[in-house]
Amino acid sequence: MPKRLVRTAQYAGLGLYIVFLGFPLLWLISASVKSSRELNSLTVSLLPSEWHWENYSDALARQGLIGSAGNSLLVAVASTGLVVLISLPAAYVLARIKGAARVVGTGWILVSQVFPVILFILPLFLILRTLHLTDSLVGLTLVHATYTLPFALWMLQGYVAAIPFDLEEASAVDGAPRLATLRHIVFPLLAPGLVATAMFSFVASWNEFFFALVLLQSPDNYTLPITLKMFIGGEGKVALGPLAAGAVLAAVPSIVFFSLMQRKLISGLMSGAVKG
Amino acid sequence: MAKRTRAKSQIGRGEAAVLLIPSLLPIMVLSVTPLLIGVFLAFTDARLVRNPEYHFIGIDNFIRLGGNSMFWDSFRIGIIWAVSVTVLQLVLAMGLALLLNSGLRLQSLTRVLALIPWAMPPVVVAIMWRMIYSANAGPLNAALGGLGLPSSINWLGDFKTALPAVIVVGVWVGMPQTTVTLLAGLQQIPRDLYEAGALDGAGAGRLFTAVTLPSLRGIIASITSLNFIWNFNSFSLVYVMTEGGPGGETMLPMLFTYLEAFKNRNIGYGAAMGLVLVLIVVTLLAVYLRAQLRGDKEA
Amino acid sequence: MRKTALKAVAGLSVLALALTACSSGDPSPNPSGEPVTLTFQSLSDQPATIAAVEGIVEAWNSAHPNIQVEIVPVGWDAVYDKLITQFNSGTAPDIIHYEASAIVSFADDGYIADLSSVMDPARKADIPAGVLESVTVGGQLVAYPTELQSYMVFANRTLLEQAGVTIPTGDTLDWATFRAMSQAATKDGVFGLGWGLKSPTATFMSLGLGYGGTFFNGTGSNVTIDVTDAELAVPEQVYQMAYEDLSLMPLTLTQSGGEALAAFYAGQVAMTVQGSYQAANIAQDAPEGFEWVVLPALEGSKSAAQSANPQTLSISVDSPHVAEAAQFLDFFTNAENLAAVCEADALIPATTSAQRAMETKLASQAGWDVILSSGQYLEAAPFMFANSYQAWKDTVATPAFQRYLAGQIDKAQLAQELTSGWDTVTS
Repeated sequence: MPKRLVRTAQYAGLGLYIVFLGFPLLWLISASVKSSRELNSLTVSLLPSEWHWENYSDALARQGLIGSAGNSLLVAVASTGLVVLISLPAAYVLARIKGAARVVGTGWILVSQVFPVILFILPLFLILRTLHLTDSLVGLTLVHATYTLPFALWMLQGYVAAIPFDLEEASAVDGAPRLATLRHIVFPLLAPGLVATAMFSFVASWNEFFFALVLLQSPDNYTLPITLKMFIGGEGKVALGPLAAGAVLAAVPSIVFFSLMQRKLISGLMSGAVKG
Repeated sequence: MAKRTRAKSQIGRGEAAVLLIPSLLPIMVLSVTPLLIGVFLAFTDARLVRNPEYHFIGIDNFIRLGGNSMFWDSFRIGIIWAVSVTVLQLVLAMGLALLLNSGLRLQSLTRVLALIPWAMPPVVVAIMWRMIYSANAGPLNAALGGLGLPSSINWLGDFKTALPAVIVVGVWVGMPQTTVTLLAGLQQIPRDLYEAGALDGAGAGRLFTAVTLPSLRGIIASITSLNFIWNFNSFSLVYVMTEGGPGGETMLPMLFTYLEAFKNRNIGYGAAMGLVLVLIVVTLLAVYLRAQLRGDKEA
Repeated sequence: MRKTALKAVAGLSVLALALTACSSGDPSPNPSGEPVTLTFQSLSDQPATIAAVEGIVEAWNSAHPNIQVEIVPVGWDAVYDKLITQFNSGTAPDIIHYEASAIVSFADDGYIADLSSVMDPARKADIPAGVLESVTVGGQLVAYPTELQSYMVFANRTLLEQAGVTIPTGDTLDWATFRAMSQAATKDGVFGLGWGLKSPTATFMSLGLGYGGTFFNGTGSNVTIDVTDAELAVPEQVYQMAYEDLSLMPLTLTQSGGEALAAFYAGQVAMTVQGSYQAANIAQDAPEGFEWVVLPALEGSKSAAQSANPQTLSISVDSPHVAEAAQFLDFFTNAENLAAVCEADALIPATTSAQRAMETKLASQAGWDVILSSGQYLEAAPFMFANSYQAWKDTVATPAFQRYLAGQIDKAQLAQELTSGWDTVTS
């Protein structure tokens, strides 16, 4: 096959992916600048018949959109940092250890993801209350970190396992202490996996709804998903325009974060670093 | 390599403990403890009422569940849903990850665009897709009409199209994490392997099956099993789109657990439903992971 | 080994119970004179309503320095999950905004204070009997009812007149006339009726009362179901309009009420059945020059009754300040305040005096006289007092009605599914 044909096909494929993945956001943006009358009509059009920017001022005027975005950012960044910090050493152990501990560890990780949240939310709430961590962003950060940990451990130990142990041994034979080996040999190789895990952890916390709903009591502590949910009223009454505007604003921090992180996802250090 | 390391772990016990404790502590306190209490409830007649009296009733809840045909109907739908979404996610995300990894132009832009479903707040995802699927006011039918195709499909309202339509949304929602995971995995594969393969005259397809897939085996097993769990566990996305309709065609089993535990307040019976689902899912995964592991050893 | 594990689990559950026990809280009575703060968990979602509620609370707070009220907003969609965890962990707010059908079962479980002795007797006398009954559980008054809705027929005046259909006046509109109107209006590509019945159960439960279709007997966990012709009269006529008269646009049967409005605005259907609150949305979203009217309340073979499922304000049984909270709610539900909130929400006030106040105020606005007068037909319905109603509705009734409306099962099968499904849910 000629190379150019392959390239064209690749671009076409990528284009289809982008349309599939991006169109709903485009439609959301379109809805955010349409009037209620237009949104409730049978007209189908990407561009609004008249630009209705009021949705944005409406959304911002709603109680606490900005404040709750700040809370969300705080919790998401803190829990991401925490997850990366504590999962990395544990994942390393899980990948390098053998026998029962490994089976129990990985088995537990899976089971903890299967059990429905609603069945243990009450005991969890009561434990957090004994620790005076309900209605607190610290408590929410801990909970988000705890429930992202299994994913982080599970994925990271996979990435660690993919790094041949020989590399470490070689370094150890050279007399380097274990920590130095980890820092100079293992961590650089892990970088893409670590970034992928961090991105997941950030998004999981940023979007998390149920724990936040149940744990946070005072409006000052509400996170963004809670505030956005208040745009959806009873009897299916939805302020579609303002909701879309609020959602577009809520998407901005994630997109900025992704733009910053995606470079790290592809690490230039990688090529040739692993010698077979 | 495997031979040399089978004898003993590559890490000492004391060292392992120190590295594990920071993770273990929050997991024990905030995850294991509440979860065990939840499991225990499955063997009681606990209800979510004021000053409840719990009784240990053995496996009564499970016997009762055995005769609940509606629950098992929804279980069938849940399996169709979870398997289709997980498989499609893997296939599509693999394609996307390969494209994103093949040195096309505008890499950084397309990599961000590929993550868009992550950036859409879940609160609005279902509402947006409901608009897109709208039979008489939606862009999807309008686009089909523009191409001269049937343009009056009632995507979420028709008994035949509702489940496929929500499966597409499920795939859409889960694409980013699968793609990013696979992309990170692709980055870890040493270039030398491809170069060696290319020297042997292997084509792109052969390189994919001989180098890429084996290298990603562990990561594929990890992300697929987690995706399966998450998909099996999710119901709120579908519930907002269809409320389980039309005619129960999109009624997922976790919805039953939720309704029984929270709406009916029979947390004991609900916990039994949850536990049964856990056991089934874990069994399926154990079989799947064992097969993967065996493949690993043979490779 | 196994024994140890069992012991550990038992220990954990004891811990859980202990935690629950101390969470049930011991209310420390308020030493007189000390200022108290009441938390008011509010579901108001429309900006106008939020402003109205805040205005009322501010007025109260400045007049009562010793009883301060603090609003905690929560979304409608999420409030059930929030409340059930709040109740079960002893962290419920003092004042709880919700709706009768949901609060009644919380009251049945013991979480709601009895207001019989603390509600102002004048207020109680101001609430129509049928509405009051919807917030009474086992002789206990569990809420102040605030706002109501009814199902109304909205009509495109221009289309009806073009089809030569006389627009009915009078107090009620019987089903036979309604069907004939719909048939007459079906021509030139226009359907007589569009009805968003994606979630059909609540609508059928409510309108069924007009035929004496009550579905359930008994209250709490001791409830039996009885599905007869009376219960299925409304679904059957909807089916006939869609498949025999061909006067009902089939697509709308799978849409929500709001989605079905688009076809109404576009002139594809001449009439649509909607919750009365849609009057406000129609006024806002209909194209310019769109002429619409609200038709008289639909009347079945027995009456024009519909079910009253008012929004409610209740007090947590664990609140240390029940009396103070009731004082505030007496103030909140006075004619002027309640009328202001209902106007912002486009709903019908649950007290007679507030209905009057609103009638005077909105006399000039389209449709409101008819909507407000439909309030008199609202009465308590048995389904609200059946414990497993919610689960039956979501897993049995809604799928069965949807299958029936899609022509997949017939009336006899529908009745059978509704009945046996109830047995499964409650077994």
